[in-house]
Amino acid sequence: MAEPLRVIDFGSRPPLRSQTLWHAVGYGVSAGAPATLSFVRPAVPYVCIGFHRPLDEVDPDFCRAEGLPVLRRMVGGGPVYLDSGQLLFQICLPAASVPAVRPKALRQLLEPAVAAFRAVGVRAVLDEDSEICLGDAKICGHGAGQIGDAVVVCGNLIERFDHARATRVLAMTDPAQRDQTLALMRRFVAATPVDPVSFRAAMVAAYAARLGLTARLGELDDVEHAALTSLDEQFVSNNWLAGPGRPGPQAGPGPVARQVKVRARIWTLSATHEGAQVAATVVRGTVLAARLHDPGLNGLAVRAEQALVGIPLRSVGDVLAGFGDPGRRLAAAFATAEPERS
Amino acid sequence: MEPTARLVVAGFPLALDRLYQAETHMWVLPTGPGRVRIGMDPVGLETSGSLAELSLDPVGTELHAGRPFGQLEAAKFVGPLLSPVSGAVVETNEEVVADASLAVRDPYGAGWLIGASLGDADAELSGLLADPTEITTWFAARIARYRHEGVIAQ
Repeated sequence: MAEPLRVIDFGSRPPLRSQTLWHAVGYGVSAGAPATLSFVRPAVPYVCIGFHRPLDEVDPDFCRAEGLPVLRRMVGGGPVYLDSGQLLFQICLPAASVPAVRPKALRQLLEPAVAAFRAVGVRAVLDEDSEICLGDAKICGHGAGQIGDAVVVCGNLIERFDHARATRVLAMTDPAQRDQTLALMRRFVAATPVDPVSFRAAMVAAYAARLGLTARLGELDDVEHAALTSLDEQFVSNNWLAGPGRPGPQAGPGPVARQVKVRARIWTLSATHEGAQVAATVVRGTVLAARLHDPGLNGLAVRAEQALVGIPLRSVGDVLAGFGDPGRRLAAAFATAEPERS
Repeated sequence: MEPTARLVVAGFPLALDRLYQAETHMWVLPTGPGRVRIGMDPVGLETSGSLAELSLDPVGTELHAGRPFGQLEAAKFVGPLLSPVSGAVVETNEEVVADASLAVRDPYGAGWLIGASLGDADAELSGLLADPTEITTWFAARIARYRHEGVIAQ
């Protein structure tokens, strides 16, 4: 008889519990509970930020005005907008049972999700960046982490996606960057409105088959109930919400930049340097759109913007060198980009 | 050991002036009586994926061998940095916290992670790889294994 794959469907839950329930499972599996596949649907919208990310990546005023809670998870990735149009799933296993090499473990634990998407008619693939995609669009956000001695990989079935709100919750002071980010979201993040019951069944079958386990419905054990109580307190504490991340960008005489990743290698940049201002869209290393401002451009802004479209990011400085001192200031702003972080 | 002894093994730099924990790829460099610095070797970093973030436990935190002293995030995967020794954190590298790529660019130098004090240095260090020949053999075997598994490029 194969070992069990515990399956728990937490149903529709408030924001806090839609996170703490599956984190509690992590502690349970760490303490000896069986491998577990769980599902939960947020009852109302909220924002969830990855373990290391600075809280200032989220627009606090907008979230407060909209009544959107902000919660920090123990797994990686950036800030995301979650709502009832998304079915969140988590696969949790003892760390000793997955490859120690993290990229390999991540791919192995996402492949059954891809199989489940395909089983319900979505021609999903796991791309070279370990993102689940349909064509050019990411259709499943994911994150992973180790909780105690358990590894958890989480993702979502996006039945409906509010691109505008998902963009609006992100802190961006430059309207041009916000517009560019929304355009990228619409192009590169897609919903797959399949029947969630069929998807859940396909997920259970795919993970059980891949892991060689027998699926069984289950519920939280005593360890997990205790962990849940503790996590409910931890996740609403200011210390936890502040996070352990690196300091945010410091204001000063040098360039000031904000980079927003939409999916792997697809991002926007807003940066200023000595009065020059750049908002740019970068797709797989190439500038797709640019909005430039510098008082010295004297009406050449549009020409400079057009000159950058289709240019590799590494060649932006060469192109802008043809625009004199304003070009050099704009190039300095562009140079704040950190492609390796995207 | 020569303080600057460095080799390149199968394309990866290897410093022979320090000790290594074989499973975690953590290096331990004695810096004074009962004091060490700890970092991760380039093979450990390479197999972690594209490093994005690091966080380290604060000064004063107790260290237990095999337990986390911080977290590393690569490819959206947050995992523990496991201590090769027991003791206490006496310094953290704030530069590498601010810019995790420093650990990749200079893994044996500016990319160090924490400094630690050890209660019984001899006992703590005795379980680590210390002999240069043994270290080189282990390092080469690890690279060969990861390449065979397709985890790192040929």
